[in-house]
Amino acid sequence: MNVTEELTAVFREVFDDDSIQLTPELTADDVEGWDSLSHVNLIIAVEMKFGIEFTQKEIRSFANVGELIACIESKLNA
Amino acid sequence: MGLTKNIAYTCTRRPCEAGHADEQAFKWIHNDLTEQIFTFQELDTASNRMANVLQRLGINKGQCVSIYLPKSVELLNSFFGILKNEAISCILFSTFGESALYDRLSDSRTRILITRKSLLKKVQKIEGELNELQAILVTDLETHQDDYILSLPQLLADVPDSFAFSAEIEPETPAFIQYTSGSTGKPKGALHVHGGLDTMLASFKEVFEIQPDECFWCTADPAWITGLVYGVISPLALLTNQIQFGGNFSAESWLEILQREQVNVWYTAPTALRMLMQEEAGLFKQYDYSALNRMYSVGEPLNPEVYYWGKKVFGCEVYDNWFQSETGSIMITNKPGRAVKPGSMGQPLSYIQAMILDDDMHPLPVRQQGNLCLKKGWGSMFRTYINKEDLYQEKFNGDIYISGDLAYRDEEGYFWYVSRADDVINTAGHLVGPFEVESALLEIEEIVDVAVIGVPDPILHEKIIAFLCLRKDCEWSRALELKCRVNISNKVSTTATPQEYHLVDSIPKNKSGKILRRVLKARYEGKDPGDLSTMEEK
Repeated sequence: MNVTEELTAVFREVFDDDSIQLTPELTADDVEGWDSLSHVNLIIAVEMKFGIEFTQKEIRSFANVGELIACIESKLNA
Repeated sequence: MGLTKNIAYTCTRRPCEAGHADEQAFKWIHNDLTEQIFTFQELDTASNRMANVLQRLGINKGQCVSIYLPKSVELLNSFFGILKNEAISCILFSTFGESALYDRLSDSRTRILITRKSLLKKVQKIEGELNELQAILVTDLETHQDDYILSLPQLLADVPDSFAFSAEIEPETPAFIQYTSGSTGKPKGALHVHGGLDTMLASFKEVFEIQPDECFWCTADPAWITGLVYGVISPLALLTNQIQFGGNFSAESWLEILQREQVNVWYTAPTALRMLMQEEAGLFKQYDYSALNRMYSVGEPLNPEVYYWGKKVFGCEVYDNWFQSETGSIMITNKPGRAVKPGSMGQPLSYIQAMILDDDMHPLPVRQQGNLCLKKGWGSMFRTYINKEDLYQEKFNGDIYISGDLAYRDEEGYFWYVSRADDVINTAGHLVGPFEVESALLEIEEIVDVAVIGVPDPILHEKIIAFLCLRKDCEWSRALELKCRVNISNKVSTTATPQEYHLVDSIPKNKSGKILRRVLKARYEGKDPGDLSTMEEK
C-alpha cells in the first residue's frame, strides 16, 4: 500500500478538491478549508481508510502531512 | 439631511489628505509571522486601482461585488475599491461551501466576485446558476483564463493609481451586506449604509478608549461584522496603531504576536479564549503579556470561568460586549471605569436605549427574562434585509428593534444573555440556521428526514446536534457519518458541521409540519419536553 497515494485520495474526498497534491511539508495553512473542525472529518476518514485509530494526543500533534504519514505507517507496521 | 463621508474616503483618502500618507495604516502579519507595513498612501492607491478595475468592468452604484477570500490585504483593497465606486460590498467567509455561497451570491445579485484560485473550484460548481454574475476576478491568476474568469493582477496592471470619487455622499447610500442566519429559510442579508460610520466610530471610541501609543489587535475575520467594523473600518478611520494577522488560529502564533507586537488592547472571541484554555498551562508562561492593558470579547457570552482564566493568565481586565450583524456596532458593553460583573454583557452605550420586554412588548421587571430590545435610531442600524423586507419589518414593533436574543437586566442595569429566542444556533460566534444544515443533510440519499438543534458546549458555546431518520434499507455507519460531515463542511461550512448524529424513528413536528426542536432539545438533555398537544401523531 502506498500511504501517500491513499492519503491523497482521502484528502481530495474530504476537502472536495481533486487538485490536492500531498507533500510532507504540507500544513493546514496550505489546504483551503482545513481547519480544526474539518480536521475531525479528516481523522475519521483516515482511520476508516487505513483501519487504524489515533489517540487524542496524536490527533493534536500532527504539524504537517509528513508527520501524519509517519504516524500512519508506524501503526500499519506495528 | 446633509451629506456623509464615504467610508472608503474616511479610511483611505482622508488620512492622506490630513498629512498621514506615509504613516502606517496597519501592520500585516503573515501566517509565518513575517510582517509588512502598509501606509495610508499604499492603501489608498491599491484601493484606487481596484476601484478603477471595477469601474472598467462596468460596475455601477448600488450593484453588489462579493469578496470570497480569507483575511488578506487583497480583501481590504477590494472592500475599499468597491466602496469608492459606491457599489455594495459583500464579504463571504472563505470557509463557505458551494450551497452557502450560492444562496448569498444569488440573493445579493452579485455582479463581480473576487476570489483566489484555491476557492475557485467551489465557485465553478455553481457559476452556471448565477445568471447575474458577470465576471470572477482571481487574485492569484497570472493571466485571464477566458472572458469570464479574469486575472486580477492583469487587470490591475492596466489601470491608473488615482481614482476620482465623491468624498461626500448621501447617508443612505448602501455600503455593505452582512449575511446572517434565521431559524427558517435562507440566510438574510442585512444592508448597511455609509451613514452608519459615525456610530461605528463613536462606539469604537467609547468602548475601547485606545490611546495614541497603544497597539490594537482585533482577531476577527472581516467576513464577520466584528472584523469589518472593528478590525478594518474603525481603526483605519481613527488612525489607530493596529496589527492584522492573516493566519489561522494557533495558540503559539497568537501568544507570540501578543508578546512581540506589544499588543495593548486585544479584541477576540470567547471561543478563541476557550480554545486557548485547552492548552497546557506551561505554554502561557513562555510569553510576556505585560504590555496588554485590556482584553475584549464578543460573539457569545463570556462565561465567568473563562473570564477569570483570561484575567489571571493575561493579567488584565476582560470586557465582554454584545451586538449583532443587524445593529452594525456594539450596543451593550463592559468597559473601563465600570465594575465588571463576570458573565454579564455589561451596560448599553451612552446613546443606546436597551430594554427587556415581554412578547406583548411590555417592560419586564429586573431579573425577569424576556426579549432583549433596542429603541431604534442609532446610525449603524441595518436598513433592510435585502429581498426580504417582510422579515425586516418583523424585527420591529413601532420604534423598537427586537433582537431575537433573550436576556434579563439586573438592579444595576447590567444585561445578562440567556439564549436565542428562536432556533438559530450560535456556535463559535457564528449564527447557523438549522435550515441550511438540514438541507445539506437531506441531499444524502440514505437520509429521509432530519432536524438539527444547538446544545450547550464548553468550547463552542453551542454545538450542533443532528437527528436523522434513515431510509428503511439503510444502516448507520461510520462511513455514513463521514458522508454527512463532509457534505455539510463542503456545501455549507465547517462551522455548520454537526458534532453528534442521533438516529430517531421520526422527527417530532406539529400539525403544520414545523419541527418541534424544543422536544428534541429536551429529550437530548433528559428534560421534560413540556406540552406535546400540538405534536403530530405518528
